[in-house]
Amino acid sequence: MSVKEYLLPQSLAEAVKLLAQHGDSLLVMAGGTITMPLINDGISRPDMVMGLRHAGLDYIRHSNSSLSIGAMTTLAEMSGDEAIPLLQQATRNTGGWAIRNMGTVGGNLFAPPPAGDVAVALLALDAQVKLAGQSGDRLLPLADFYTGFMSNALQPDELLAEIQVSVPQGKTVYLKAGRKHANTPAIVTVAAHLLMDGEQVKEARLALNAVGPHPLRATRAEEILVKAGRLDETTITASAAAAAEECEPFTDAIATEWYRRKMVGIYVKRVLAQIAGKEA
Amino acid sequence: MAPKIVSFILNGREIDVMIKPLMTLQKLVRDQLDYTATKTGCKQGGCGSCTVLVNGQPMMSCLLPVEDVAGQKVTTLEGLTPANGLHPIQEAFFEKFAIQCGYCSPGMILMTKALLDRNPNPSRQEIIEALTGNLCRCTGYEPIIEAIEAAAKKLNGKEGVSP
Amino acid sequence: MIISDLKVVGQSVQRRDGLGHVTGKTIYIDDIKFPDMLHLKMVRSPAPHARIKSIDFSDAEKVPGFVRALTHQDVPKNIYTILCLIGVGPDEEPVLAADKVLYKGEQIAAIVAETEDAALEAASRVELDLEELPAVYDVEEALQPGAPILKEWGANYFVYEGHHCRRVRFGDVDQGFAEADFIIEGRYQTSPIEHAPTETTGCVAKPEPDGRLTVYTNTQALFFTLDNTALILNIPFNKLHFVGGTVGGGFGGKVDVIVEPIATLAAMKTGRPVKYTFSREEEMRVSSTRGAWRMYYKDGVMKDGRIVARQVTSYADAGAYNRHTPYAVTKHAANVGGPYSIPNVHIDAHCVYTNRQPGSAMRGFGVTPASFAVEVQMDKIAETIGMDPWELRFVNAYHNGDVKPHRKIVEDATLIETMQAAARLTGHSLPEKYLAMTSDPR
Repeated sequence: MSVKEYLLPQSLAEAVKLLAQHGDSLLVMAGGTITMPLINDGISRPDMVMGLRHAGLDYIRHSNSSLSIGAMTTLAEMSGDEAIPLLQQATRNTGGWAIRNMGTVGGNLFAPPPAGDVAVALLALDAQVKLAGQSGDRLLPLADFYTGFMSNALQPDELLAEIQVSVPQGKTVYLKAGRKHANTPAIVTVAAHLLMDGEQVKEARLALNAVGPHPLRATRAEEILVKAGRLDETTITASAAAAAEECEPFTDAIATEWYRRKMVGIYVKRVLAQIAGKEA
Repeated sequence: MAPKIVSFILNGREIDVMIKPLMTLQKLVRDQLDYTATKTGCKQGGCGSCTVLVNGQPMMSCLLPVEDVAGQKVTTLEGLTPANGLHPIQEAFFEKFAIQCGYCSPGMILMTKALLDRNPNPSRQEIIEALTGNLCRCTGYEPIIEAIEAAAKKLNGKEGVSP
Repeated sequence: MIISDLKVVGQSVQRRDGLGHVTGKTIYIDDIKFPDMLHLKMVRSPAPHARIKSIDFSDAEKVPGFVRALTHQDVPKNIYTILCLIGVGPDEEPVLAADKVLYKGEQIAAIVAETEDAALEAASRVELDLEELPAVYDVEEALQPGAPILKEWGANYFVYEGHHCRRVRFGDVDQGFAEADFIIEGRYQTSPIEHAPTETTGCVAKPEPDGRLTVYTNTQALFFTLDNTALILNIPFNKLHFVGGTVGGGFGGKVDVIVEPIATLAAMKTGRPVKYTFSREEEMRVSSTRGAWRMYYKDGVMKDGRIVARQVTSYADAGAYNRHTPYAVTKHAANVGGPYSIPNVHIDAHCVYTNRQPGSAMRGFGVTPASFAVEVQMDKIAETIGMDPWELRFVNAYHNGDVKPHRKIVEDATLIETMQAAARLTGHSLPEKYLAMTSDPR
C-alpha cells in the first residue's frame, strides 16, 4: 500500500521528463488536497508520486492587462492578489485557511464537481491553460480543457503548467450556494462577466459549477443576454430560466438534481441583477 | 521502497527523521516521534484536528508529505506549550470553557496562534472565517470564539510573528 | 443553605481534564501504543442482505505482517447482549456474522496484523462468497406481506409482550373524532443522524502478565461495556480491567460495545496488545445512527382549540439490528402524544427492521423525533383552525395531576411556565389569562 517513490523535480523540464519516463505508474500531485485523501483511504494506490512543489511553477506575473499564474500558485497566494477581483473571490471561497495554504490554482482545475470553483471564475474570464509536454508547450482555452467528468485534454506526456487570464473589461460577479457559508462543496457556483455598452450587453460569459460533469458555460443563457439588448427584468428572467434548463445537475450528498436546477435559476438571476444594479 | 532522511525544524529543534516515501507529517509526529497532541480525525483534511503550523501558516498534517517540510519550521501544540504554565491562548481556552471533549482543541489553538500572529485584533467575523476548517462537535463554537477574543485581549498585540 | 455557602453548586468550576486538553497532553485511544501491539481491521459485508457461503483467507494470509483472522467460530458467545442487561430481549446481533448479513458494512471477519497498513491490505484481500438476497429499506414496505424477513421469529418488527408494536390505548379516539369540529392529519419523517464525533470509536486491549486484560476504550459506558465483553468472551468479569472516561465526543454513539469484545478476543488469542479503531468512513457508514422515524398523526380538534382525540402510528427504523431501538420506541410511545392533556389517545409505535445501518442511542433518541413531529403538527392545527400557535398550546398544556395516555400521573409540569418565560424573553405579548395560568392541578 505504501508508495515506492515520491519524486520532487526541481524544474518544469525535469518534471516533464520524469512523466515521459514513468508514464502510467506516476501520479502527479500538486498541493495534495485532492490526491492525499484518496491515498490515505486506500482508494488510490500509485507506485510513484511526483510532486510539483519545487518545479518553479509558483508565481503570479502581472502585465498590463493580464496575469500569468503558475499552476502551483497556492489558493492562499491567489486570494491575496487583487488584480482580478472575480478570481480573488473564487479562491477565497474555496476551502478553509489550511486547505488554501496547500491547494493550488492549477490543482483545483482537476477537482471534480461539486468542488473546483476556481475554474468557474476562469471560464467566465476566457482563461487559457498552458500545457507542457515533451514536444513543447501549447495553449488551450480552459473551455476546451474539460472533456467530460474527471477527464480533460491533457496528453499522457503533458502537465498543466500555467493559467493565463486577462483582466476583465466588463462587470463581474461571483456567487456560490453551499450548505455552509464557507468551506463547503457547492450546490451551485455562478460566475459572470458582462461587457456592457451603456444598457446593452455586448458580450456575456456565464459560467456554472456543480451542475454538470465539469465547470461549464451556460451558452444559451449567454445568447439571450446578448440578443435581448437590455439587461432588464424580462431578459434576466429568461436568461436564468435558460441556464436552469441547459445545465445537467446531478444528485449527491450535497443536493438533489431538482434542487440544484432550481438554485441555478435563482442564483443566475441574482448574479445578473447584481450586474444590472452595479454602477458603471 | 528506500527510506529517506528528511531534516526540518520541529518545535524549535532541528531534527533528522527516517521516513518512507510520502509518509504524512501526521503519521510521523504521532507514530514515530510520539508527539500525540496533533490528532487524527478523518485523514481527509476535512476536520482540522490534525492542524499544524508550517512557518507559522496552518496546514493539514494528514495531507502533508514529510518531504514537503524539509528545511521548514513546523510547530505542533507541544511547541506552543511552555515548560511551566500555559500559553495565553491555552489559558483563554481553559478559562472560557472552549474545550469539552478536547479533541478539536489542539487544531483550534494552533489556528488561533496563526490568526493572532497575522491579525492581533480580529473581529468576530474574521475569527469565524479563520476557523472554517476546524470542526467541533461539542461546544457549538461560541465558547471558542469568545476564547479567541479573550486571547487577543490577553496578548494585547504583544505576540510577534511566529518563526 | 444559601447559594453563597456552596462551593461547587452554582459556581463556575474548571474542568479537571481542561489542562490536559489545552496542552494536548490528554491521551485518547489512538494515542496509545505498545511495542508489540497488533492492529485489527474488520472485513465487512458489501451487500445489504446476503447469505454467507464461504470466506477465503488464503490471499489475505500472504500479506506480509498478517497474523491471524477471527470468525464467528472463534467467539465463545457470539451474540451482543446489550439489551438483556436492561431487561429487554431477545438478543439477536452476532459479534461476527455467522450465516447471514443484514446490512452493508456488517462485520464478518476480523484481521489482525503487525501494522495498520498490513491489516487493511489483508482485509481487502479476503474473498467473500455471498448469495445476495432481496433487501428492504423502507419501514412500511418492511411490514408488507412479501417483504424479505430479517429476523428468525419470522417478522420485521420487535415483539412487545406479544404485540407487533408498543401500544397506548386511552379513552376512545373514534368517539373523539366523531365529535370533533376538525380532523387534521400529518405525516412526519426524520432522517438518520450520525453522531460524527471528532474522535472515532476505538479501543486497545492488552493482556497482562497476571492473566487479566486491560482494555483502554473510549466507550461512554465503561462498566456496561466490561460486562458485555465478559459475557461474550465467557470469562469472569474480574478478568477484565477497563480503563476509560476520556471520550472524544460520544453523544450516544459510543455505547454499542462494538469494538471491545473482538479486540479483547484478539488480544487473548495472540497474547499481544491489539488496537481496533474505526476509520472516519466506518464511523459514518457503519456505526449506529439516531435512527429515522416516520410518524402519522390524526387529530380531532374542537373550534376552541381543544384536541379531543389524537391517533399516532409511528415506525422506527431500527435498521438491521435491535441495539437500543426497542427501548427507544417505548420511550417514544410515552412521549409522542406531546405534553398535552388529550382525553382520547391511540398510539401504535412500531420498531421495524430494515437492511440499513442500525440505529441506536443518540441524545434523546425516540423522543427528539417525536418532539419535532408533535410540535409541527400543533402548528399545523393552529394554522388550520385559525388560532394563535401559543394559545393552542396553553389551551392543551397538561397540568399536574392530569393522567398521561400511558396512565402515568403528571408531576412537575412546567410547560406553561416555560412558555411564559419564552414569551418574556422573546418580547412576545400573551393575553392576560395565559400569563395568569399555572401548572397547578385543575
